[in-house]
Amino acid sequence: MPNGLPYERMLQECLRGEFRLVNAGLPRNQKTLSDLLHEEYPHTVCSDGSTHLFKRRELEYLASIVNVTEQEALLLPMIIELGENQAEAAVMCQGETEEKVISKILDMPVTCEQGRIRIYKPQLALLRKILKTTTQYVFSPKVVA
Amino acid sequence: MPQQLIKVRPTKIELVKLKRRLSLAERVQKILKDRLSILTMEFLQATRETVEAKRKLVDVFSKAYKALSIATGYHGYIAMEKELIATEADLKIVAGLRNIAGVRIPSFELMGGEKSMRGYNLIDTSSWLDHAAQLSERCLEAIVELAELQRGLELLGMEINRTKRITNALEYIIIPGLQVTIKYLNMKFEERDREEKGRLKRVKMLVAGG
Repeated sequence: MPNGLPYERMLQECLRGEFRLVNAGLPRNQKTLSDLLHEEYPHTVCSDGSTHLFKRRELEYLASIVNVTEQEALLLPMIIELGENQAEAAVMCQGETEEKVISKILDMPVTCEQGRIRIYKPQLALLRKILKTTTQYVFSPKVVA
Repeated sequence: MPQQLIKVRPTKIELVKLKRRLSLAERVQKILKDRLSILTMEFLQATRETVEAKRKLVDVFSKAYKALSIATGYHGYIAMEKELIATEADLKIVAGLRNIAGVRIPSFELMGGEKSMRGYNLIDTSSWLDHAAQLSERCLEAIVELAELQRGLELLGMEINRTKRITNALEYIIIPGLQVTIKYLNMKFEERDREEKGRLKRVKMLVAGG
């Protein structure tokens, strides 16, 4: 087994690499639903420079459950933060639009606390099943601290 | 399995370094486990969807072949061939990527919904051919959907394997090795303290006796 500093550096690099890898899909900037609906190929640029393509079917579904004003407020992709507790996750939300969308998809009332909507794993699976391209995971460093 | 001790000098500095390494290794393990659980969830979801998409594909294809056979029987083989020559069209598929916890998965979308004009003569043909053409379009959609799911499933599977190997290495080799070495160094320092105390007592006795 390697000894001393190189070994430590290797672990540090591994940790950094994992963070970089899992958060590579994070968007540089979120776009509103109405903007995306007007784009020919709805997409956003990720932090690693790659392009994240949105499915028009999903965008149209979202447009069908929110009104025109809410379309201006709904930022996509929605960010799902993985919590310290492995059994739950949190959807970051800016306002009531995300709350409305998620409660409609999960078919249950949800509340936004401190900018986050807490959901459990089975609900996360359901959410990801319907919103594949319009949601994105984020692994926060504080989660593993 | 007995854990191998890491060869280090038995000093306090080395102990501090080892403790730091252990905490770092545990952080890496935690993030990898989180990632593995997400990837597994996505993999299971993709498996279910792939099974469903395959079933749909087989179903749509069987319906399309049936409809095409009926249409061919109705119009005759030569007439059908003559009509279908003009129906060839280029497909437009939008291909991109989506990222699931660090895995880049292809995303395909077939552009152009149901067509009202398919290229063949509507006067000389019957509704049987319309029906067959409609089902053929659904076949294309099913193929594109299955291609996306199948490739996603493969990529997720490969990434799960890779992550699992790293997690296992951390869980069963690196972390236990560090823990055993830390324990060994602690015991060594305690032993050294005990020896020191014994030596001091003996010196004290000698001084007192002399």
